[in-house]
Amino acid sequence: MNKPGLLPVLFVVSLSVTAGLAEAHGLKALVTVEGTSLVGSAHLTPRRPLRHATVTVTGTDGNVLATTTTDDAGHFRIEAKRRVDHRIIVDGGDGHVATYTIRADELPDSLFLSPPTPLVQAGEGSLPALSAPGTDWRTFIDQSIARQIRPLREQIDAYQEKIWWHDVLGGIGYILGLGGLAFGLSRRRRRTDASPSTVTRRNDP
Amino acid sequence: MAHIPDGVLSAPVLMAGAAVSLAGCAYGLWRLEAERIPQAALFAAVLFVAALVHFPAGPSSVHLILSGLTGVLLGWAAFPAILVALLLQAVLFGFGGLVVLGVNVMSVALSAVLCRALFLAVARSGNHRQTVMAAGLAGGIGVVLTALLVSLALALSGQAFATAAKLVVLTHIPVAVIESIFSAAVIGLLLRVKPEFPGLTLVGGKRE
Repeated sequence: MNKPGLLPVLFVVSLSVTAGLAEAHGLKALVTVEGTSLVGSAHLTPRRPLRHATVTVTGTDGNVLATTTTDDAGHFRIEAKRRVDHRIIVDGGDGHVATYTIRADELPDSLFLSPPTPLVQAGEGSLPALSAPGTDWRTFIDQSIARQIRPLREQIDAYQEKIWWHDVLGGIGYILGLGGLAFGLSRRRRRTDASPSTVTRRNDP
Repeated sequence: MAHIPDGVLSAPVLMAGAAVSLAGCAYGLWRLEAERIPQAALFAAVLFVAALVHFPAGPSSVHLILSGLTGVLLGWAAFPAILVALLLQAVLFGFGGLVVLGVNVMSVALSAVLCRALFLAVARSGNHRQTVMAAGLAGGIGVVLTALLVSLALALSGQAFATAAKLVVLTHIPVAVIESIFSAAVIGLLLRVKPEFPGLTLVGGKRE
Protein backbone atom coordinates (compact mmCIF):
# COMPACT_ATOMS: atom_id res chain seq x y z
CA MET A 1 0.00 0.00 0.00
CA ASN A 2 1.54 3.30 -1.01
CA LYS A 3 1.43 6.24 1.31
CA PRO A 4 -1.29 8.39 -0.29
CA GLY A 5 -3.68 5.56 0.49
CA LEU A 6 -3.45 6.13 4.22
CA LEU A 7 -5.72 9.15 4.49
CA PRO A 8 -8.62 7.70 2.50
CA VAL A 9 -8.41 4.69 4.83
CA LEU A 10 -8.90 7.07 7.74
CA PHE A 11 -11.91 8.62 6.00
CA VAL A 12 -13.46 5.24 5.39
CA VAL A 13 -12.96 4.29 9.00
CA SER A 14 -14.32 7.55 10.36
CA LEU A 15 -17.30 7.48 8.02
CA SER A 16 -18.14 3.90 8.86
CA VAL A 17 -17.94 4.81 12.53
CA THR A 18 -20.40 7.66 11.92
CA ALA A 19 -22.66 5.31 10.03
CA GLY A 20 -22.28 2.82 12.83
CA LEU A 21 -23.31 5.35 15.46
CA ALA A 22 -26.35 6.34 13.48
CA GLU A 23 -27.30 2.69 13.25
CA ALA A 24 -26.19 1.57 16.68
CA HIS A 25 -28.32 4.18 18.36
CA GLY A 26 -31.31 3.52 16.21
CA LEU A 27 -34.62 3.01 17.92
CA LYS A 28 -36.99 0.38 16.68
CA ALA A 29 -40.56 -0.31 17.64
CA LEU A 30 -42.44 -3.46 16.79
CA VAL A 31 -46.17 -3.73 17.36
CA THR A 32 -48.53 -6.63 16.80
CA VAL A 33 -52.25 -7.00 17.35
CA GLU A 34 -53.44 -9.48 19.96
CA GLY A 35 -57.18 -9.44 20.13
CA THR A 36 -58.13 -5.85 20.65
CA SER A 37 -54.76 -4.91 22.18
CA LEU A 38 -51.75 -3.46 20.48
CA VAL A 39 -48.78 -5.26 21.98
CA GLY A 40 -45.41 -3.79 21.26
CA SER A 41 -41.81 -3.60 22.22
CA ALA A 42 -39.25 -0.87 21.77
CA HIS A 43 -35.56 -1.48 21.63
CA LEU A 44 -32.39 0.32 20.78
CA THR A 45 -30.15 -1.33 18.23
CA PRO A 46 -28.18 -3.49 18.91
CA ARG A 47 -30.93 -5.20 20.89
CA ARG A 48 -31.30 -3.37 24.17
CA PRO A 49 -34.78 -2.79 25.57
CA LEU A 50 -35.89 0.80 25.84
CA ARG A 51 -37.24 1.24 29.36
CA HIS A 52 -39.80 3.76 30.57
CA ALA A 53 -40.18 5.51 27.26
CA THR A 54 -43.31 7.41 26.37
CA VAL A 55 -45.58 5.67 23.91
CA THR A 56 -48.21 7.77 22.19
CA VAL A 57 -50.91 6.37 19.95
CA THR A 58 -52.56 8.69 17.47
CA GLY A 59 -55.18 8.17 14.83
CA THR A 60 -54.76 9.16 11.22
CA ASP A 61 -56.14 12.60 12.04
CA GLY A 62 -53.37 13.16 14.60
CA ASN A 63 -55.68 12.91 17.61
CA VAL A 64 -54.05 11.22 20.58
CA LEU A 65 -55.91 8.00 21.30
CA ALA A 66 -53.83 6.71 24.19
CA THR A 67 -50.51 7.11 25.96
CA THR A 68 -48.47 4.72 28.05
CA THR A 69 -44.87 3.96 28.96
CA THR A 70 -42.72 0.92 28.27
CA ASP A 71 -41.95 -1.47 31.13
CA ASP A 72 -38.57 -2.80 32.25
CA ALA A 73 -38.38 -5.15 29.28
CA GLY A 74 -39.33 -2.43 26.82
CA HIS A 75 -42.80 -3.88 26.27
CA PHE A 76 -46.09 -2.02 26.21
CA ARG A 77 -49.74 -2.87 25.66
CA ILE A 78 -52.51 -0.55 24.55
CA GLU A 79 -56.17 -1.31 24.10
CA ALA A 80 -57.58 -0.32 20.72
CA LYS A 81 -61.00 1.21 21.03
CA ARG A 82 -61.76 1.80 17.39
CA ARG A 83 -61.03 0.01 14.16
CA VAL A 84 -58.98 2.78 12.58
CA ASP A 85 -55.35 3.20 11.59
CA HIS A 86 -53.21 3.48 14.71
CA ARG A 87 -49.91 5.27 14.64
CA ILE A 88 -47.71 4.23 17.55
CA ILE A 89 -44.98 6.70 18.40
CA VAL A 90 -42.24 5.69 20.81
CA ASP A 91 -40.18 8.60 22.06
CA GLY A 92 -36.85 7.65 23.59
CA GLY A 93 -36.52 11.13 25.06
CA ASP A 94 -33.07 11.72 23.57
CA GLY A 95 -34.10 12.62 20.07
CA HIS A 96 -34.78 9.06 18.98
CA VAL A 97 -38.30 8.47 17.86
CA ALA A 98 -39.68 5.32 16.31
CA THR A 99 -43.09 5.01 14.73
CA TYR A 100 -45.07 1.99 13.76
CA THR A 101 -48.43 1.92 12.05
CA ILE A 102 -51.12 -0.67 12.61
CA ARG A 103 -53.64 -0.50 9.79
CA ALA A 104 -57.32 -0.68 10.50
CA ASP A 105 -57.73 -4.01 8.69
CA GLU A 106 -55.22 -5.63 11.04
CA LEU A 107 -57.60 -5.01 13.93
CA PRO A 108 -60.42 -7.44 14.69
CA ASP A 109 -63.87 -6.85 13.28
CA SER A 110 -65.34 -6.68 16.75
CA LEU A 111 -64.15 -3.10 17.06
CA PHE A 112 -66.26 -0.28 15.75
CA LEU A 113 -65.16 1.72 12.77
CA SER A 114 -66.11 5.09 14.20
CA PRO A 115 -66.54 6.38 17.75
CA PRO A 116 -68.72 3.85 19.58
CA THR A 117 -72.29 4.64 18.69
CA PRO A 118 -75.21 2.73 20.14
CA LEU A 119 -76.11 -0.10 17.83
CA VAL A 120 -79.21 0.60 15.88
CA GLN A 121 -81.46 -2.21 16.87
CA ALA A 122 -82.60 -3.84 13.71
CA GLY A 123 -86.09 -5.11 14.05
CA GLU A 124 -85.20 -8.79 13.65
CA GLY A 125 -82.06 -8.80 15.79
CA SER A 126 -80.88 -11.77 13.79
CA LEU A 127 -77.77 -10.05 12.37
CA PRO A 128 -75.84 -9.62 15.64
CA ALA A 129 -76.73 -13.16 16.62
CA LEU A 130 -75.29 -14.52 13.39
CA SER A 131 -72.08 -12.51 13.38
CA ALA A 132 -71.18 -12.94 17.04
CA PRO A 133 -69.75 -16.49 16.96
CA GLY A 134 -67.80 -15.79 13.77
CA THR A 135 -66.15 -12.77 15.31
CA ASP A 136 -65.20 -14.77 18.37
CA TRP A 137 -63.43 -17.40 16.34
CA ARG A 138 -61.68 -14.86 14.23
CA THR A 139 -60.44 -12.96 17.26
CA PHE A 140 -59.17 -16.16 18.77
CA ILE A 141 -57.32 -17.18 15.62
CA ASP A 142 -55.91 -13.69 15.11
CA GLN A 143 -54.63 -13.71 18.66
CA SER A 144 -52.85 -17.03 18.47
CA ILE A 145 -51.32 -16.30 15.08
CA ALA A 146 -50.09 -12.94 16.26
CA ARG A 147 -48.49 -14.55 19.29
CA GLN A 148 -46.68 -17.09 17.16
CA ILE A 149 -45.57 -14.68 14.47
CA ARG A 150 -44.19 -12.12 16.89
CA PRO A 151 -40.82 -13.78 17.62
CA LEU A 152 -40.38 -14.38 13.90
CA ARG A 153 -40.90 -10.72 13.13
CA GLU A 154 -38.37 -9.79 15.77
CA GLN A 155 -35.91 -12.26 14.32
CA ILE A 156 -36.34 -10.91 10.81
CA ASP A 157 -35.81 -7.43 12.15
CA ALA A 158 -32.54 -8.40 13.83
CA TYR A 159 -31.48 -10.34 10.76
CA GLN A 160 -31.98 -7.32 8.49
CA GLU A 161 -29.65 -5.26 10.64
CA LYS A 162 -27.01 -7.93 10.44
CA ILE A 163 -27.35 -8.19 6.65
CA TRP A 164 -26.94 -4.44 6.35
CA TRP A 165 -23.52 -4.60 7.94
CA HIS A 166 -22.51 -7.58 5.84
CA ASP A 167 -23.43 -5.65 2.71
CA VAL A 168 -21.44 -2.60 3.77
CA LEU A 169 -18.34 -4.64 4.47
CA GLY A 170 -18.89 -6.70 1.34
CA GLY A 171 -19.15 -3.58 -0.80
CA ILE A 172 -15.93 -2.14 0.60
CA GLY A 173 -14.29 -5.48 -0.06
CA TYR A 174 -15.48 -5.53 -3.67
CA ILE A 175 -14.11 -2.04 -4.30
CA LEU A 176 -10.72 -2.76 -2.77
CA GLY A 177 -10.58 -6.04 -4.66
CA LEU A 178 -11.33 -4.30 -7.95
CA GLY A 179 -8.71 -1.69 -7.19
CA GLY A 180 -6.16 -4.37 -6.45
CA LEU A 181 -7.00 -6.22 -9.64
CA ALA A 182 -6.69 -3.06 -11.73
CA PHE A 183 -3.40 -2.21 -10.06
CA GLY A 184 -1.99 -5.67 -10.60
CA LEU A 185 -3.08 -5.78 -14.24
CA SER A 186 -1.64 -2.36 -15.01
CA ARG A 187 1.67 -3.36 -13.43
CA ARG A 188 1.82 -6.53 -15.48
CA ARG A 189 1.04 -4.70 -18.69
CA ARG A 190 3.80 -2.22 -18.04
CA ARG A 191 6.25 -4.99 -17.28
CA THR A 192 5.51 -6.67 -20.61
CA ASP A 193 5.61 -3.35 -22.47
CA ALA A 194 8.96 -2.27 -21.14
CA SER A 195 12.17 -4.07 -21.94
CA PRO A 196 13.34 -6.15 -18.97
CA SER A 197 16.38 -3.99 -18.27
CA THR A 198 14.35 -0.83 -17.71
CA VAL A 199 11.88 -2.35 -15.29
CA THR A 200 12.51 -0.78 -11.96
CA ARG A 201 10.35 -0.51 -8.93
CA ARG A 202 9.03 3.03 -8.82
CA ASN A 203 7.77 4.13 -5.47
CA ASP A 204 7.38 7.85 -5.84
CA PRO A 205 5.14 9.29 -8.51
CA MET B 1 -31.95 11.48 -3.97
CA ALA B 2 -28.98 11.39 -6.23
CA HIS B 3 -30.20 7.90 -6.93
CA ILE B 4 -33.00 7.93 -9.46
CA PRO B 5 -34.87 4.62 -9.40
CA ASP B 6 -35.67 2.56 -12.49
CA GLY B 7 -38.76 3.31 -14.53
CA VAL B 8 -38.77 7.07 -14.01
CA LEU B 9 -36.66 8.41 -16.84
CA SER B 10 -37.42 8.31 -20.54
CA ALA B 11 -35.34 6.29 -22.99
CA PRO B 12 -33.45 9.19 -24.65
CA VAL B 13 -32.34 10.52 -21.26
CA LEU B 14 -31.21 7.04 -20.22
CA MET B 15 -29.21 6.57 -23.39
CA ALA B 16 -27.60 10.01 -23.21
CA GLY B 17 -26.60 9.38 -19.60
CA ALA B 18 -25.16 5.96 -20.43
CA ALA B 19 -23.18 7.37 -23.36
CA VAL B 20 -21.70 10.23 -21.31
CA SER B 21 -20.82 7.89 -18.44
CA LEU B 22 -19.27 5.31 -20.73
CA ALA B 23 -17.12 7.94 -22.45
CA GLY B 24 -16.19 9.49 -19.10
CA CYS B 25 -15.20 6.14 -17.62
CA ALA B 26 -13.13 5.22 -20.66
CA TYR B 27 -11.32 8.55 -20.56
CA GLY B 28 -10.91 8.37 -16.78
CA LEU B 29 -9.41 4.89 -16.94
CA TRP B 30 -7.13 5.89 -19.77
CA ARG B 31 -5.87 8.88 -17.79
CA LEU B 32 -5.55 6.94 -14.52
CA GLU B 33 -1.93 6.18 -13.68
CA ALA B 34 -1.18 2.88 -11.97
CA GLU B 35 0.16 4.64 -8.87
CA ARG B 36 -3.18 6.33 -8.32
CA ILE B 37 -5.35 3.25 -8.63
CA PRO B 38 -5.24 2.48 -4.88
CA GLN B 39 -6.23 6.07 -4.11
CA ALA B 40 -9.14 5.93 -6.54
CA ALA B 41 -10.27 2.59 -5.14
CA LEU B 42 -10.15 3.81 -1.56
CA PHE B 43 -12.05 6.93 -2.44
CA ALA B 44 -14.65 4.82 -4.22
CA ALA B 45 -15.03 2.96 -0.92
CA VAL B 46 -15.47 6.30 0.87
CA LEU B 47 -18.20 7.29 -1.60
CA PHE B 48 -19.90 3.93 -1.19
CA VAL B 49 -20.04 4.28 2.60
CA ALA B 50 -20.80 8.02 2.65
CA ALA B 51 -24.05 7.59 0.74
CA LEU B 52 -25.27 5.15 3.39
CA VAL B 53 -25.38 7.88 6.04
CA HIS B 54 -28.84 9.35 5.61
CA PHE B 55 -30.17 12.57 7.08
CA PRO B 56 -33.88 13.19 7.31
CA ALA B 57 -34.94 16.16 5.16
CA GLY B 58 -38.60 16.95 4.80
CA PRO B 59 -40.59 14.09 3.31
CA SER B 60 -37.56 12.12 2.11
CA SER B 61 -34.00 11.80 3.30
CA VAL B 62 -30.74 13.02 1.87
CA HIS B 63 -27.25 11.64 2.10
CA LEU B 64 -23.72 12.78 1.43
CA ILE B 65 -22.77 12.73 -2.25
CA LEU B 66 -19.18 14.01 -2.06
CA SER B 67 -19.12 14.79 -5.77
CA GLY B 68 -17.09 17.97 -5.24
CA LEU B 69 -14.45 16.38 -3.05
CA THR B 70 -14.21 13.35 -5.35
CA GLY B 71 -13.58 15.65 -8.29
CA VAL B 72 -10.95 17.67 -6.44
CA LEU B 73 -9.01 14.57 -5.38
CA LEU B 74 -9.50 12.26 -8.35
CA GLY B 75 -10.11 14.44 -11.40
CA TRP B 76 -11.22 12.30 -14.35
CA ALA B 77 -10.67 9.14 -12.30
CA ALA B 78 -13.89 10.19 -10.54
CA PHE B 79 -15.86 8.54 -13.37
CA PRO B 80 -14.71 4.94 -12.80
CA ALA B 81 -14.65 5.41 -9.01
CA ILE B 82 -18.21 6.72 -8.95
CA LEU B 83 -19.36 4.02 -11.37
CA VAL B 84 -18.10 1.30 -9.03
CA ALA B 85 -19.54 2.93 -5.90
CA LEU B 86 -22.98 3.52 -7.44
CA LEU B 87 -23.08 0.06 -9.02
CA LEU B 88 -22.49 -1.57 -5.65
CA GLN B 89 -25.03 0.68 -3.94
CA ALA B 90 -27.60 -0.31 -6.55
CA VAL B 91 -26.86 -4.02 -6.32
CA LEU B 92 -26.47 -4.34 -2.56
CA PHE B 93 -28.87 -1.73 -1.20
CA GLY B 94 -31.23 -0.98 -4.03
CA PHE B 95 -30.21 2.71 -4.13
CA GLY B 96 -31.07 3.67 -7.68
CA GLY B 97 -31.66 1.22 -10.47
CA LEU B 98 -29.34 -0.59 -12.84
CA VAL B 99 -30.85 0.71 -16.07
CA VAL B 100 -30.59 4.24 -14.77
CA LEU B 101 -26.99 3.77 -13.58
CA GLY B 102 -25.60 5.73 -16.53
CA VAL B 103 -27.62 8.82 -15.67
CA ASN B 104 -26.79 8.58 -11.98
CA VAL B 105 -23.07 8.19 -12.69
CA MET B 106 -23.22 11.11 -15.09
CA SER B 107 -24.94 13.45 -12.64
CA VAL B 108 -22.37 12.75 -9.92
CA ALA B 109 -19.20 12.32 -11.99
CA LEU B 110 -19.77 15.15 -14.44
CA SER B 111 -20.19 17.58 -11.56
CA ALA B 112 -17.07 16.08 -9.98
CA VAL B 113 -15.02 16.79 -13.10
CA LEU B 114 -16.45 20.32 -13.36
CA CYS B 115 -15.60 20.91 -9.70
CA ARG B 116 -12.04 19.80 -10.37
CA ALA B 117 -11.75 22.48 -13.06
CA LEU B 118 -13.31 25.05 -10.73
CA PHE B 119 -10.96 24.05 -7.91
CA LEU B 120 -7.88 24.38 -10.12
CA ALA B 121 -9.05 27.73 -11.42
CA VAL B 122 -9.69 29.22 -7.99
CA ALA B 123 -6.71 27.68 -6.22
CA ARG B 124 -4.25 28.66 -8.92
CA SER B 125 -1.91 30.62 -6.68
CA GLY B 126 -1.53 27.61 -4.45
CA ASN B 127 -1.45 29.40 -1.12
CA HIS B 128 -2.98 27.41 1.69
CA ARG B 129 -5.92 29.64 2.53
CA GLN B 130 -7.03 30.03 -1.05
CA THR B 131 -6.75 26.32 -1.77
CA VAL B 132 -8.88 25.43 1.25
CA MET B 133 -11.48 27.98 0.21
CA ALA B 134 -11.46 26.60 -3.32
CA ALA B 135 -12.05 23.12 -1.91
CA GLY B 136 -14.98 24.36 0.16
CA LEU B 137 -16.42 26.06 -2.88
CA ALA B 138 -15.98 22.94 -5.00
CA GLY B 139 -17.58 20.79 -2.29
CA GLY B 140 -20.67 22.96 -2.14
CA ILE B 141 -20.98 23.54 -5.87
CA GLY B 142 -20.54 19.82 -6.50
CA VAL B 143 -23.71 18.98 -4.58
CA VAL B 144 -25.66 21.77 -6.27
CA LEU B 145 -24.47 20.66 -9.72
CA THR B 146 -25.39 17.04 -8.99
CA ALA B 147 -28.82 18.06 -7.76
CA LEU B 148 -29.29 20.23 -10.85
CA LEU B 149 -28.27 17.41 -13.20
CA VAL B 150 -30.62 14.99 -11.39
CA SER B 151 -33.49 17.43 -11.67
CA LEU B 152 -32.63 18.12 -15.29
CA ALA B 153 -32.84 14.40 -16.02
CA LEU B 154 -36.18 14.27 -14.21
CA ALA B 155 -37.53 17.36 -15.94
CA LEU B 156 -36.49 16.13 -19.40
CA SER B 157 -38.39 12.91 -18.81
CA GLY B 158 -41.76 14.53 -18.35
CA GLN B 159 -43.73 17.31 -16.76
CA ALA B 160 -44.94 15.05 -13.97
CA PHE B 161 -41.54 15.22 -12.32
CA ALA B 162 -41.16 18.98 -12.33
CA THR B 163 -42.10 19.28 -8.66
CA ALA B 164 -39.83 16.38 -7.75
CA ALA B 165 -37.03 18.15 -9.59
CA LYS B 166 -37.55 21.34 -7.59
CA LEU B 167 -37.64 19.35 -4.36
CA VAL B 168 -34.31 17.68 -5.19
CA VAL B 169 -32.57 21.04 -5.44
CA LEU B 170 -34.21 22.45 -2.29
CA THR B 171 -33.47 19.49 -0.02
CA HIS B 172 -29.85 19.44 -1.10
CA ILE B 173 -29.00 22.94 0.03
CA PRO B 174 -28.13 21.79 3.59
CA VAL B 175 -26.12 18.90 2.11
CA ALA B 176 -24.18 21.42 0.03
CA VAL B 177 -23.33 23.39 3.18
CA ILE B 178 -22.21 20.25 5.04
CA GLU B 179 -20.10 19.03 2.13
CA SER B 180 -18.57 22.44 1.59
CA ILE B 181 -17.30 22.44 5.17
CA PHE B 182 -16.28 18.79 4.97
CA SER B 183 -14.34 19.25 1.73
CA ALA B 184 -12.55 22.34 3.04
CA ALA B 185 -11.61 20.46 6.22
CA VAL B 186 -10.33 17.42 4.31
CA ILE B 187 -8.26 19.46 1.86
CA GLY B 188 -6.98 21.68 4.66
CA LEU B 189 -5.87 18.62 6.58
CA LEU B 190 -4.27 17.05 3.52
CA LEU B 191 -2.37 20.23 2.68
CA ARG B 192 -0.99 20.39 6.19
CA VAL B 193 -0.21 16.70 6.64
CA LYS B 194 0.56 15.56 3.11
CA PRO B 195 1.04 18.40 0.64
CA GLU B 196 2.46 15.99 -1.95
CA PHE B 197 -0.91 14.19 -2.14
CA PRO B 198 -1.37 13.37 -5.88
CA GLY B 199 -4.56 15.37 -6.45
CA LEU B 200 -3.07 18.48 -4.88
CA THR B 201 0.34 18.62 -6.54
CA LEU B 202 -1.14 20.22 -9.65
CA VAL B 203 -2.00 23.28 -7.63
CA GLY B 204 0.66 25.95 -7.61
CA GLY B 205 2.27 25.55 -10.99
CA LYS B 206 3.53 21.97 -10.85
CA ARG B 207 1.74 20.38 -13.78
CA GLU B 208 1.70 16.68 -14.70
